[in-house]
Amino acid sequence: MSTNDVAIRVEGACKTYKRIGRSHAHMAVDGVSLKVERGTIHGLLGPNGAGKTTTLKMLIGLVRPTAGTFEMLGEDSTSPKGRRSLGFLPEQPYFPQHLTALQALRFYGRLGGVLKDEIDGRSNEVLAKVGLRGEECTELSKFSRGMLQRLGIAQAIIGRPEIVVLDEPASGLDPVGQRDVRSLMLELRERGTTVLLSSHQLSEVEAVCDRVTILNFGKVAAEGHIDELLNVSGQTSFKVRGLPEFPRAVSELASDVAVSGSVWVFSVEDSAVRAVVDAIDDAGGTVMSVTPKRESLEDYFARLITLAGLEVAS
Amino acid sequence: MNRMVLIARAVITDSIRRRVPYVIVLFAGALAAAIPSLPNYGMGVEPAVFREVSLALMYVAVIVLALALAANRLPAEFERRTVYAVLAKQVSRWEYLVGTWAGLTVVMTAVIAAFTVVIQVVAVLFYGDPMWVLWVGALSMLLEAGVVIAVAVAISTLMGPVVVVVATLTILFIGHSRSTLLGGLGAAELSYFYPSLDSFNIMLPVAHGNGVSALAVVSMLTVFVGFTGLALLLGVVMIGRKDL
Ligand SMILES: Nc1ncnc2c1ncn2[C@@H]1O[C@H](COP(=O)(O)OP(=O)(O)OP(=O)(O)O)[C@@H](O)[C@H]1O
Ligand SMILES: [Mg+2]
Repeated sequence: MSTNDVAIRVEGACKTYKRIGRSHAHMAVDGVSLKVERGTIHGLLGPNGAGKTTTLKMLIGLVRPTAGTFEMLGEDSTSPKGRRSLGFLPEQPYFPQHLTALQALRFYGRLGGVLKDEIDGRSNEVLAKVGLRGEECTELSKFSRGMLQRLGIAQAIIGRPEIVVLDEPASGLDPVGQRDVRSLMLELRERGTTVLLSSHQLSEVEAVCDRVTILNFGKVAAEGHIDELLNVSGQTSFKVRGLPEFPRAVSELASDVAVSGSVWVFSVEDSAVRAVVDAIDDAGGTVMSVTPKRESLEDYFARLITLAGLEVAS
Repeated sequence: MNRMVLIARAVITDSIRRRVPYVIVLFAGALAAAIPSLPNYGMGVEPAVFREVSLALMYVAVIVLALALAANRLPAEFERRTVYAVLAKQVSRWEYLVGTWAGLTVVMTAVIAAFTVVIQVVAVLFYGDPMWVLWVGALSMLLEAGVVIAVAVAISTLMGPVVVVVATLTILFIGHSRSTLLGGLGAAELSYFYPSLDSFNIMLPVAHGNGVSALAVVSMLTVFVGFTGLALLLGVVMIGRKDL
């Protein structure tokens, strides 16, 4: 990756918060480094309180870093000039209540550099894109939580920024809204936009992210492609239908067996895949899917937290 | 510059939507209309006394309104986090702060102008005299309101509305107490360094005299620029160091 291809670079980010009544300060972010390639979607994953929001806020200059450098397209992103090509969705966004959706977008769009002649067209375009068509003249005080989230996304992309930073874009959205956001991110990438998003939902991240950085207790716990991080090596996951009962031959090989209705889900060693498929055929079942076994993000986080706990204890 | 204007405009629309300005103007206007009929020596109030009382009334209304609009402006934005979406754009914190001050000052300009017109109407009705000299008093109040807003906005970068109101009123009080505080000490040399707002005290000459000298107006403008500039500068430093 040459420096020209790096859209976002964070180096050694630290943030300590002083806590009243405590002897030592609290390290919310502790030496986080991050590189996001141009035109890719990068996920920032981690459990609650891991430091995702704090990292993003430092990147955007909303919080003063204790240490670290923050760059977007080679410029210091904590200064206004460095944010020229940025669109940002804050966590649980909130806007002046008395404005209508259209008025709010006019305001944020103009602040983000959209020209006066273009602002109305652009506002309507992004409102349609986030599924708020027909709500142009609704006052924001009458917006639901999910509608505010959508408006937040709209104001982030209205200036057609080269970089979009989204803090938990799916929060507060219904399943359809979550799917819309995923396709919106893919569309942005298609246009060459770089997307950095934070999340604690695997489904949101695995479907779209090229790479992820996992944070835990303010530190980078892992970085890479989501498959590399979460696939359990040597294990294959099965989904099977139409078995009157679980075949003896399979149950000896299978682990993590779960059943729901007539569908069985279980995993086996990679080497046993052939034998298991045959056994299921013989028993009259239908194999619905055979995929590499993937750890759930919940398990992964739980493991990270236990590991960190062990380190502290030792 | 353009972004500062956008922020100022947003502040103005938000203030216009609030009920406080109208209530205060209406209330004070009604009081002003009542002044001429005060039972003074059985034949109504003299024009000079009318000017003095109506200007005093306007002064109180202006300070109350300036504080009502300014004290909670930034704290509410911080608390509701509406500030994030603004400052994540290519907007500097100083543009945000100065834009807020400018918007509030424009609102006060409109209110003071409306107020002065109301008093003039009353003056014409009761005394047959538009009393144009009232506008000099209005100017001094506008400048003082500008200072009050700058001080309040600066303090509100770090403090909540109650502290802002108390601290601003304290500063206002100290600013008008040079003679009381220094007089007894006999420290005349110190008076040059005293942060005095006394230049704005032109109510009496406006009410009773033949108007105000050009020098007094210049002195007023100088004090306005100095105090507002200093308060905004401190505000910019403080908001710049804040974690949002
Ligand atoms: N203003 C603040 N003052 C003190 N501590 C803070 C402040 N903001 C965040 N923290 C602390 O910093 C840590 C990281 O918080 P942060 O909001 O970055 O987490 P997060 O990863 O975004 O979590 P979530 O998934 O819940 O949004 C937490 O322990 C939190 O208590
Ligand atoms: Mg967060």
